[in-house]
Amino acid sequence: MDDVVLWIVVATALAFDFTNGFHDTANAVATSISTRAMPPKVAVGLAAVLNFIGAFLSLEVAATIASGIVDADLVTPAIVFAGLVGAITWNLATWWWGLPSSSSHALIGGVVGAAFAAAGAEAVLGQGIVEKVVVPALVAPLLALAVTAVAISLAYRIVGRRHPGPVARGFRLGQIVSGSLFSLSHGTNDAQKTMGIIFLALVANGTLSASADVPTWVVVSAATAIALGTYVGGWRIIRTMGSRIIKMDPAQGFAAQGAGAAVILSASHVGFPLSTTQVISGAIMGAGAAKRLSAVRWGVAGNIAIAWVLTLPASAAVGAITYGVVAVFGTRDVGPVVVSVLLVGLLTAAFVRRAAANRALPVEG
Amino acid sequence: MLGVVDFHALGNVIWASFVAGVGVTVLFSIAIYGFGRADEQRRSGHAATAYVALAVVAMVVFAAAVVYGVAVMLNK
Repeated sequence: MDDVVLWIVVATALAFDFTNGFHDTANAVATSISTRAMPPKVAVGLAAVLNFIGAFLSLEVAATIASGIVDADLVTPAIVFAGLVGAITWNLATWWWGLPSSSSHALIGGVVGAAFAAAGAEAVLGQGIVEKVVVPALVAPLLALAVTAVAISLAYRIVGRRHPGPVARGFRLGQIVSGSLFSLSHGTNDAQKTMGIIFLALVANGTLSASADVPTWVVVSAATAIALGTYVGGWRIIRTMGSRIIKMDPAQGFAAQGAGAAVILSASHVGFPLSTTQVISGAIMGAGAAKRLSAVRWGVAGNIAIAWVLTLPASAAVGAITYGVVAVFGTRDVGPVVVSVLLVGLLTAAFVRRAAANRALPVEG
Repeated sequence: MLGVVDFHALGNVIWASFVAGVGVTVLFSIAIYGFGRADEQRRSGHAATAYVALAVVAMVVFAAAVVYGVAVMLNK
C-alpha cells in the first residue's frame, strides 16, 4: 500500500472515532442531564475523560472486530477507506435526525458494502454478520430493557413510600457513579473499533503481521479521538435519549445507567460485542415501560428501531457507492485522496450547521 | 443461524447482566431507604442504628460491585 493511502485510511478511521464519540455521548450522559444529576458541560467533560481512560483498559474487542465479518484476505485499503466513509456518513445522518444508532453496526455495514462492491459476495462472511450484528442487535435492547424493568420495579418497591426529595437526591448522586461507570465501559468497548480498523489497515499495508499486538500510538490516537468527540457532544441525540423516549425521574435514570453499564461490561468481558447505543436505549425504554407502558413514547422508539434496522444496509450502500467512486479514480492512491477531500468538505459543512443549530436550540438541562 | 450463536457466551452475558444490573440498583435503593428511615428515626427520637447499619452494608456491597466492574475491565 502507498503510505499516503495508509495515512488517509488512518485519518479517516480517527474521524470515524470522533463521530463515534459525539454520536454516542448521549449513551453516557443523556440520563444524567435529563434528571439534573449533573450540569450538561460537566457531564460531557467527565464522560470524555472516562472514555479516554477506558480506551486503555481493554484490547480484547480490537482483536476481534476486524475479523470474521469479511474475508481478511480480500480486504484492501480502499475497502477499509470506503467502509469508514459509509460509517461516518450514517453516523452524521442519524445525528442530524437526532436518532441514536449503533456506530459499531455502521462500521460493519460500511466495510461489508465496500467489500461486496470490490470482491463480490464471497468477500462477505454471512455467519459473521449473524453472529456479530444480528444476534447482538436482538439481544442488546431486549436484555437491557428486561434488566432495567426488573431493577426499577424493585427500586420503586423499596423506596416508593419514602419522601421524594431525599430519594431523588440519593439517586442523582448514584447517577454520578453509574454514569461514570457507563462512560468507562463505553471507552473499553467502542474505542476498540477504531483500533481494530487501523490495525486491519496496517496489516493490509504489510506494516504489521496479523498476530502482532495493537501498537501504542494506535491506542493513544483512538482514545484521544473518541474523547474529543465525546466532549463535543451530540446534543440532538442527547435530547432524544434524555427526554423524548420517556420523561425520566432520577431512579429511572440510575437504573438505566446501572443496567446499561452491567450489560456492556458483561458483554465486553466475554468478547461478545454489543452496541452501547442499543443497550442504553433499551434500558431507558425498560425504565419507562416498568412504570407504565404508555410512559414510553413508542413513536420515538419506533423511529429509533427503524434506524437500527436500516443501519447495516444504509451504511453498506454508502460503503459500496464510495468504493465505486474510489475505483473510478483508482483504488491505489488518487481515488482515496479525491473522496477524502470531498468528505472533509461535507464534515466541515455539517459542523458549521451543527454549531448554528446549537445556538438556536439551547439544551434544557 | 442458530449454529453460529455462541450460546455459552450469550448465557453468561444474560445472567451476569441480570445479577449485576438488578443487584446494583437494588443495593443502592436499600441504601437510600436505610439512610431515609434512619433520619426519620432520629427526628422522632428513636434509635437509628439498625437502619444506618442496613444502609452502610448496602452501600459497601454497592461499592464493591462497582469496584468489581472496574476490575473486570482491568483484567481483560
